[in-house]
Amino acid sequence: MHALVGENGAGKTTLMRMLFGLDRPTEGTVVLDDAPVALASPADAAARGIGMVHQEFKLVDELTALENLVLGREPMRRGRIDWAAAREQARELARESGAGLDWDRPVAELPVEARQRLEILRLLHRRADVLILDEPTAVLGPAQVDDLLELLRGLRDRGRTIVFISHKLREVLQLADTVSVLRGGRLVETLPAAAADRDTLVTLMVGERPPVVSLAHQRAAAPAHSPAPALAAQSLGLVDRDGRRRLDDVDLTVRPGEIVGLAGVAGNGQDELVETLVGLRRPTSGTVAIDGRDVTARSVAGRRRAGLGFIPADRRGEGLAIDSSVADNAIAGLHRSDRVARGGWLKPGARERVAQAIVDAYQVRCASLKLAAGRLSGGNQQRLIMGRELAREPRLLIVSQPTRGVDVKGAAYIHGQLLALRERGVGVLLISEELDELAALSDRVVVIAGGRIAGEVAGPAPDLNAVGALMTAAPSGLKEAA
Amino acid sequence: MSTASPASVERGASLRLGLPGFAAALLRALIPIAIALVVGAILLAVTGWDPISVYRLMAQEAFGDWAAWQGTLAAATPLLFCGLATAIAFRAGAFNVGVDGSFVLGGLAAAWLGAELTGLSGWLLIPLCMIAAAIVGGLWSLPAALLRTRLGVDEVVSTLMLNYVAIGLASWIVNSLLLANGSANSASDPIAPQAQLPTIGSQATMTIGLVIALVAIVLFALWSTRSSSGFELRLAGLNPRFAEATGIDVLKVLGGAMVVSGLVGGLGGGVHALGVVHRFVDGFSPGYGFTGIAVALLARNGAWGLIPAAVLFGALASAGATVQLISAIPLDIVDVLQGTITILAAAQLVGLWRRRKAAA
Repeated sequence: MHALVGENGAGKTTLMRMLFGLDRPTEGTVVLDDAPVALASPADAAARGIGMVHQEFKLVDELTALENLVLGREPMRRGRIDWAAAREQARELARESGAGLDWDRPVAELPVEARQRLEILRLLHRRADVLILDEPTAVLGPAQVDDLLELLRGLRDRGRTIVFISHKLREVLQLADTVSVLRGGRLVETLPAAAADRDTLVTLMVGERPPVVSLAHQRAAAPAHSPAPALAAQSLGLVDRDGRRRLDDVDLTVRPGEIVGLAGVAGNGQDELVETLVGLRRPTSGTVAIDGRDVTARSVAGRRRAGLGFIPADRRGEGLAIDSSVADNAIAGLHRSDRVARGGWLKPGARERVAQAIVDAYQVRCASLKLAAGRLSGGNQQRLIMGRELAREPRLLIVSQPTRGVDVKGAAYIHGQLLALRERGVGVLLISEELDELAALSDRVVVIAGGRIAGEVAGPAPDLNAVGALMTAAPSGLKEAA
Repeated sequence: MSTASPASVERGASLRLGLPGFAAALLRALIPIAIALVVGAILLAVTGWDPISVYRLMAQEAFGDWAAWQGTLAAATPLLFCGLATAIAFRAGAFNVGVDGSFVLGGLAAAWLGAELTGLSGWLLIPLCMIAAAIVGGLWSLPAALLRTRLGVDEVVSTLMLNYVAIGLASWIVNSLLLANGSANSASDPIAPQAQLPTIGSQATMTIGLVIALVAIVLFALWSTRSSSGFELRLAGLNPRFAEATGIDVLKVLGGAMVVSGLVGGLGGGVHALGVVHRFVDGFSPGYGFTGIAVALLARNGAWGLIPAAVLFGALASAGATVQLISAIPLDIVDVLQGTITILAAAQLVGLWRRRKAAA
C-alpha cells in the first residue's frame, strides 16, 4: 500500500491520471508487473487490472447497487442478464472483502460511505489488482474512515496493490507501507511509512522555503477598526444536492483594513464558502453580512450594491467573458451605474471612456479595447478583472487565487494593490493555494478543513507549519491546536 | 469552455478563422449555402436535370425582376419575424425553438379580432390586432420560460413540444369556435377589409408587414448594442457564469428573452394573418418558426445578418413555388436545399448544446 502526498499542484493527481491512462506521459514509462506498458485509455488500464476510484463517484444514481456493480460487465445467459449470477458474484465479493451492501437500493439512497464501498467492489468485480484511490477519506467522517481503512487493509493482505492520495498525514502514517512525497511535479522522496513521522512529511511537502520577501515588513499596522465588520458570516452551513455537507457551522469575520487569508487543501469547502459569501449559492443555514448589512437573502447584484467586490479563481470562466471585448468586460457590473448608463441606455462613448480609464489605471496592456478579453495574457486578464472590481470601490473584496498563472512581476503588482486596499480600509478575504502568498499578505490566516473552520493562525507572517498542520488535520475531534 | 451557448457563435467565428469579424461571419454563412448547392446539384444531375439551368431558372424566379423580388420579400417577411424571435432567445442562451407556436397562436388572435371588431377603423383595428397577437405569442412562451427558470426544465424539450400543443389548440379552436359560416375546411371568418395590411408595391402579398419586420430588426440592433438590458442579454448568453458573478440575474434575463422572443413570434403571426392569409386556417404556418431557427443560425444571431438570411430562405420558397408552376422540376429540390442549409447551420447549434450539457 503506497501513499502519495504533496501540496496542491504538486502533481499527485496528474501522476494518478497517467497511471490510469487518462493522461499520457510525455516522457518515461509506466511499468506494470515488471513490463513497461503504454496505457492508451482508462479502458486499456482497466483491462490490465488497474482500477481507479475518483473523488467524484462515477455511479448511476438511479440504478441499484447491484446494477451498478455489474454495469458494463453483466453476466449473461442466453442473451439476457443473469441476475441470479450477478447476485452470487456480489455475495462472493462481499464475503471476500468483508464489506456488505444493501444491493437492492438505488445508489441515490445510499450514504456516501456505501457508495464508496460500492466503487471499490466494482473494481474488484472487474478483477483489478491495482487500486488507485484519489483522496478516499475526504468525504468521510472519522468512524467511516476507520471502516474504509479496515477494508483497504484487508485487500492489501489478500495481495492487492493500493495507491492512494491523501492530505491527511495521520491516515497516511496509519495505513501506508510506503510514502512518496511530491513537490512541484517532482518526486522528492520515497520512504517507508515506519520511518516517517508527521513533521518529516510536512517539511518534505512544503520544502525548504526561501526567506519570504515579505510585504508584511513594509506595511503599517492595521488601521483603526470601524464598528461594522466588512464581512461577517455566522454559522454558515451548506448541504449540496447529493446530500453531502460542504460547509458546517462556519464563522468568519473580516474587519475593514484587514486581510484575512483562507487556507485549505483543495476541495475542503473553500470554493463553496466563496460562492456562498458572494451569493452564487444559498446557504442551508446561517447568515452573511457585508459592511454591517445582512445580505443573506440578496442576490449577487444586491451584495455588490452592499459593497462587495469579487475576483474569482476561475478567471476565464467567471472572471471574464473571454469572447467579449475588453471594453465590455471592463464595464460588466457597472453597466447600470450612472457612470455608464442613463435610463437603461448606455451613454454614448461612456463604455470606452470608463474602460480606457481602467485599462490605464491598472496597466492592462492591450492593443485595442475591442480585442477579445480571452486574448490577453493571464496577468493582463487579472489586471483587467482587478481594475473592474476596484473601480467599484468595494468595502469588501473577496479574491480567490489572485496570482495563479501570473508571472512574478504581475503577482507583485497584484499584491501591492491588495495591500493598498488594506491601507484604504477595505476588508479583504484572500483565498489562495500559495501559502507564501497568504503568509506575506495576511493579518491572520483562517484554515478550512472538511467544510469547517479548523483554526486560525495569527499574523503578520503567520507560521506556515502551523497552517499546514491545520490543513492536514483529520476532521472533527482530531484537530490540533495551532 | 464555459461559453457554450448559441450566443457565442457570433464571436467565435472571428477568433477561429483569424479574419475580421464581418468577413469571417460572411464566409461561415456562405459555406453551408455552397455545400447545399453542391448537394442539390448532385441530386439534380443524378435525376437527369441540368443543375446549372435549374439554378439559373430559380435565381431568375427569385431575383429576376421587381415582381420576382416582391415575391421573395413577401416570402421573407414571416421568416424575418421568426428569425428575429429566435435570435433574441438564442442571444441570451435560451434555446427557444417554440417560435412556431407563438406565431400560430398570434395569427389566430389577430385573425379573430380582425374578423370580430368590424366596427373599428383600420387605424385602430390593425394596431389592436398586432398588440393582441404579440401578447398571445409572449404568453405562450411564458410557461416554458417559467419551467426553465423556476424548475430547470430544459427549454429545448418544452418549447418544441409546446409547438405541437399550439398547433393542435389552434386547429381545434378554428374547427369549433371560430369555424366560418358555411365553411367546412378549417378556416375562420375573413377579417374586415380595413384590417388587411396595406400593400406596398404591386403584389398583394408584400405589405407594410415587411416594413414592420425591418423596423423591429433595427430596434433589436439598437437595443442589443446600446442598452443596459441588451448588454445583459449578450453577457448572459456568452458566459452565464461570468454574468452571474458580475451580478446579472441570468435566469431573469433568460426568461425575459424567451417571453420577448414569443412576443415577436406572435407579432409575426399577426402580420401574416392580416397581411397574407386574411383569416386563420388550419396549417397557418408551414413551419415558419423552424425556418426561423435556420435564419437565426445563419445570421449568427446578429441583427443585420437576419435580413440576407431571411431573404435567402424567402427566395428558395418563392422560387420553388413558381418554378414548379412553369416547369416539371420537382419542388422537392427546394426542400433539399433548405434542409441541407438548415442542417449544416444547426450542426453548430447541436455541438454547442452538448457542450452546455457537458458544462452543466
